[in-house]
Amino acid sequence: MKRLVLRSLFTALVLAACALSANLASAQNSYVIGYITDLSGPLADSYTPTWEGFELYIKALNDRGGIGGKKIDVVLDDDGLKADRAVAAAKKQVERDNVIGIFGLSLSSTQGPVYVEMRKAGVPVVTTFSGILDALPPAKPFSYSAGVVFEVAGEAIGELIKNIKPNGKVVGMTFDSVGGRAAISHNKRMVESLGYTWDEVIFPVTTSDFTPFAQAAVEKKPDIVVGHYGSGQNLGVIPALRRSGYTGPYVVASYGVTEDTVRQAAQRAGNDQNVYYVTRYSTVYDSNPAVAEVAAAQKKYGTSKPFSSMHLTGWALGRFVESALKACGWPCSREKLDNVIQTLKVDVSGLTGGPIEMSPQDHYGPSYWRLYVWNESAKKMEPKGDWLKKTALKFPVQ
Amino acid sequence: MEFAATVVILTCTYALLAAGIVILYKAGRVVNFAHGELAIVGGYVFYSSGLMAGDESLWLAIAGALAFSIVMGLVIYMTMMRRLVGEPFYVAILVTVGLGIVLKSAILVIWRAERLTIDVGVAPALRLAGGASLSYMDIVSVLLTIAFFAGLYLFFRFTRLGVQFRGTAENALLASQRGVNVNFVLSLSWVIAIMAASLSGVLYGGRAFLSTESVTIGLAGLTAALVGGLDSLRGAVAGAFIVALAQYLTVRLISPVLSEAVPFLLLLVVMSIRPWGLFGTLEEFDRV
Repeated sequence: MKRLVLRSLFTALVLAACALSANLASAQNSYVIGYITDLSGPLADSYTPTWEGFELYIKALNDRGGIGGKKIDVVLDDDGLKADRAVAAAKKQVERDNVIGIFGLSLSSTQGPVYVEMRKAGVPVVTTFSGILDALPPAKPFSYSAGVVFEVAGEAIGELIKNIKPNGKVVGMTFDSVGGRAAISHNKRMVESLGYTWDEVIFPVTTSDFTPFAQAAVEKKPDIVVGHYGSGQNLGVIPALRRSGYTGPYVVASYGVTEDTVRQAAQRAGNDQNVYYVTRYSTVYDSNPAVAEVAAAQKKYGTSKPFSSMHLTGWALGRFVESALKACGWPCSREKLDNVIQTLKVDVSGLTGGPIEMSPQDHYGPSYWRLYVWNESAKKMEPKGDWLKKTALKFPVQ
Repeated sequence: MEFAATVVILTCTYALLAAGIVILYKAGRVVNFAHGELAIVGGYVFYSSGLMAGDESLWLAIAGALAFSIVMGLVIYMTMMRRLVGEPFYVAILVTVGLGIVLKSAILVIWRAERLTIDVGVAPALRLAGGASLSYMDIVSVLLTIAFFAGLYLFFRFTRLGVQFRGTAENALLASQRGVNVNFVLSLSWVIAIMAASLSGVLYGGRAFLSTESVTIGLAGLTAALVGGLDSLRGAVAGAFIVALAQYLTVRLISPVLSEAVPFLLLLVVMSIRPWGLFGTLEEFDRV
């Protein structure tokens, strides 16, 4: 009899615990979203500031009381730039953390598999900084990007270099990667359509010394050199080009390249004045209220990395999230969030040239690009021309 | 001229790495797969030590890198390699692979995977024909490499310790019976090897950048050592020159994308024709 009572008591306790946890889940009092990026892998240097910018925005938003009194909880996972880790983190966030959407992500190679898995799960994914073709028209379901799609960047850079020189020979440099080849292919076709001639140097991802590659580029007698790669390569290539005798314009395609990297590279190259920078989001040297707001938040909450355009990129994504959740209302489901994002228009004035604007067919929308030049004496970047609006790819993807 | 300068500078970076690998192999029959990691961590330590006093100090940076080489060399030998005496040679290889992973993680944890450059003497010092230039760092790197190899030659040839070192390399048991402090000699081999690796890491950080990916330069050093012969310092220099030349010519004449693969192709060719390397000895190879 005593055993029966104990067994019943135990069963009752288990049932009560289950009921309690179910209640807790349904009574979740905040928006739970996921963020996945590379915080410890080879490109952590580029992706960490983007995360920090996003985190700054969410902190400030929560301090203001959140959205309709509901706070935003961000579940952060590090993919170490590995696709399998990114997929595992996404699944974990969906199944265990019950997130309604996933944001961030790192390199294009990690995005594809996450997009695929999250399509199956019906979870909207919005990437920043790097982006892949899935978001471009005809966009795939649940796959969005508010960052840099390499094909678009390649074309935008091709158009913007007319602000440097109206004609001549452009030499594109990149390392042997999917993103690099995509960018260079569209850059090539755009500059050729504008009357420039084109040549390119593609080097291996692991490179011991950039000098031979720089010399190969210089041998092609360029009028403009464009570098389609990350921070480290710019630090190596710019001085190597100058050592090899090239003194002409060099364009940094901002794929996670911070202003500090450009400063360092220009300094290494002997206080270089002829270094340009093309970015989708503003630089920290831009004087406008939006940049000042991010700078104030950075001062208030602090960041581990020097304040850069990557922080502004992350902040813009934060603003995107706020608009999406506001439009979604409370409670917000994955399906509802996805529906909302499909027609979302977010004002990010000051952080880029125009709004981030999605449509059911185009999950990237118009993007705005600007050319800056490094002013060594003022130690800052200055805009050269206005924002360029890119609405669609001019050339088909090869 | 530009071509020659680039190949010479690349040769210096690889020769320093290869020399360390050869010294460790000659002294203790260890093929060190963590040499690239040691080089890059040495570069990071150089950078961080220079910043320690708040103001960038070259002397502090050099002292830091030297201290790192000495401490690291002693720690690796005393805590790991010493215990492996008498074990099959592959055990030591596996230990160095593990050591490499730990060092790479240290870059992530201590330096948060930051890409750093060592901007010492980067200003142009010498203008070459065609507008190219050599920096002070480039010139110093060549001079330091020559000094390092000259110092090694004098050390092995004319000092008592150098003779003991050669004796240990020849036959550790016999050397020990003749009163040579083998542990001291082997610790010293690690210290010298890491010193050379750190110097190489510093030079690399001056030409390119330091990051977790940069550890792959260890492969270039290993290839150079294998091509030249694992037990020959002369071979280390020759191997480094061949690897650097092959890389450069591939970039300029074949395809830049293949530049990292060609040295390995070269290695396969050398290994299939002369497995003990160009300057290595057959006896040494047979022992392995």
